[in-house]
Amino acid sequence: MSILQKIKNTVRSRSIHVSYVDVGSCNGCDIEVLACLAPRYDIEQYGIYVHNNPREADVLLVIGSVTPQWVDKLRDIWDKIPEPKVAVAIGNCPISGCVYARRGTLTSPPVEKYIPIAAQVPGCPPRPTEILNAILSVAPLIFKDYEEKQP
Amino acid sequence: MKKTVDVSVPLGPMHPCWKEPVRLKCETAGERVLKTELELGYMKKGIERIMRGRPWQEVMFLAERVCGICSVVHNMVFIETMEEISDIPVPPRAAYLRVVVNELDRMASHLIANFSYCYTIEHETLAMYLLNTREIVLDNLERITGSRINTAYMIPGGVRFDLLPEDAAAMLADLVKVEDEMKRYVRIFETGPLIALRSKGIGFMSREEAIRSHTVGPTARASGVEDSDLRLRHPTYQALDFKQITRTEGDNFARIMVRFQEVFQSIDLIRKCVETLPDGPIRGGGLCKAGEASYAGEAPRGELTYTIKTDEYGRVVDIAIRTPSIMNIEACAHTMIKGATSIADVTSTFISSDPCVACNER
Amino acid sequence: MRSIVYYVREFLRPEWIRKFFSVKTAPLETPSYFKGYPTRTEKECTGCFTCMMICPAPGAIAVLRKKDEWEPEVYPGHCIRCGLCVEACPEGVLSSGRILDVTRRDRTAFASWYHLDVDDNLCMRCGNCCVSCPVNRQIDPQLAGTGTSASDEVIMRIEGGRVRILHMEKCTGCTTCETQCPNRAIRVARMVEGVQLGEAEA
Repeated sequence: MSILQKIKNTVRSRSIHVSYVDVGSCNGCDIEVLACLAPRYDIEQYGIYVHNNPREADVLLVIGSVTPQWVDKLRDIWDKIPEPKVAVAIGNCPISGCVYARRGTLTSPPVEKYIPIAAQVPGCPPRPTEILNAILSVAPLIFKDYEEKQP
Repeated sequence: MKKTVDVSVPLGPMHPCWKEPVRLKCETAGERVLKTELELGYMKKGIERIMRGRPWQEVMFLAERVCGICSVVHNMVFIETMEEISDIPVPPRAAYLRVVVNELDRMASHLIANFSYCYTIEHETLAMYLLNTREIVLDNLERITGSRINTAYMIPGGVRFDLLPEDAAAMLADLVKVEDEMKRYVRIFETGPLIALRSKGIGFMSREEAIRSHTVGPTARASGVEDSDLRLRHPTYQALDFKQITRTEGDNFARIMVRFQEVFQSIDLIRKCVETLPDGPIRGGGLCKAGEASYAGEAPRGELTYTIKTDEYGRVVDIAIRTPSIMNIEACAHTMIKGATSIADVTSTFISSDPCVACNER
Repeated sequence: MRSIVYYVREFLRPEWIRKFFSVKTAPLETPSYFKGYPTRTEKECTGCFTCMMICPAPGAIAVLRKKDEWEPEVYPGHCIRCGLCVEACPEGVLSSGRILDVTRRDRTAFASWYHLDVDDNLCMRCGNCCVSCPVNRQIDPQLAGTGTSASDEVIMRIEGGRVRILHMEKCTGCTTCETQCPNRAIRVARMVEGVQLGEAEA
């Protein structure tokens, strides 16, 4: 492993930028992601920064079952995120559609149909600690030795 | 002299300040906003379509998931509509417990609204303080109901869990802590000169405009609309001697201060509830029957109306939900933001009206 | 200037400084009263399907026959952790948070009635409902693929080219037929009432 790669690993492990996109949820998971910012959970002590800007993000948190408006736009957002990137599905909605996956619904879950999902956090809504653990466990797997893993 | 070019500034649907997707198109001349157009529809899930033909125990959870921030009040208004249709009496203890849980939820909702505002005007210290206070409130909600956000606490004819004496004692102890902290934060907010620069006189809406644009909730109360709180008409709140809070300034500062004052009022209401909590059962039973009713309750954002028609087995045949945010967002776009002297004020004014897009579009 | 003095004073409070060093290591464990995913207790499941009847989320819980015993299975990703199944189960097979203790102490329960009706205009006589019904299968394991049955004890069967409901009182309200029906012809009305037993008996 080159020294450059080692430096990259160290830097990446301490600065993970998170962006979240709400593609049609009930808001519950939204505010649980916001609650991670609270001093009690303090997401920034692990070097995770929540901006809502896909162009500088490493981790995309997808919240909600996909509404018709987001079907094409979600892919656009995913393409705008620079490599290396990872998407995490927060809550039941992106996994199964939660209570909306019924006859007559307008949503079209799961979100895996549109973008690749690396990790799922089930729960309606999940606790902030569960969200934190998911981001912390999935981020190093993707970002460590990213250049060496490339074919 | 330079020519001023008219530019249409789009804000959203994904914007760092906004938690949910909504799009504002601002027509500007220089920094001055001339006209704002609102584009909704990013969150339409068709909840009312899913609700049709389902019994209350399924619709209750769908109603809760209309909005995750004020989930308790959606649950409460839906259940009270069903009770009105089928004449189910509520035991007095259950009615008081509903008020306790509803007020805890209102506190959490107001705190997150004020957090968003402080975060938008980049006063991160106060924002984080408020968010941490919200965690204490949510702890109490969790202790009573067992979950933080979507609580599923109320059922027709009562509530699901009782309030234990040791939980009530812990809650009262926490409320003292919350009240002390909130007093300090309100002082920071009231006296901070930088906050005043971003809030006082910005996003003004007069009383006449507020009435004409049908605003509800804290947004209307900040503009001085009297008798706009539906808790005044709720029998349990009447027994608790509820008084409405009204301010007359009508700007961003007033809207945030109304929410702060309502947090203190909620603390008082919860204390009164716990003091006068009657003994007795928490569930009365009662089956849902056929009928049709319209019922309104006060959500943290304003008036919330459910119109429900049921069949003889208690299934929902037709349902219409009228949520408060739609009027507030429209009023915000057409009266408050119009004439703003800076693009930077657009986001903070929009957040100050506490928009809830998930409520709007369902 | 005034604001700078204000913030310096704000950050020099002993409470703030103490919090600055201590708040990061806040306890992050889940409290015991949190309604988590329902877990299995050692009680035996009788296969009454009450949990499936009351579950508000689609596909969240299924009671499966494993060898000789019934086994409720909860699917994370579908389960919304509402705790209704824990509260409704008459045997106390599932447990989540402290719901089970609180329900036992307050003696709260759910009483329920069911009503089956078939819309003959929509029904295609495919027999899916009769075949998929778990109670039907228990009563008559030889139930044919077309939904006809020789037994008179089944809830419903295809008889003379239409679905005939024989024993509505045996229905457990699990709505398996409703989800299997391709045309939404069979409807299960589930009337549930939250009751408290303590006062009435005392």
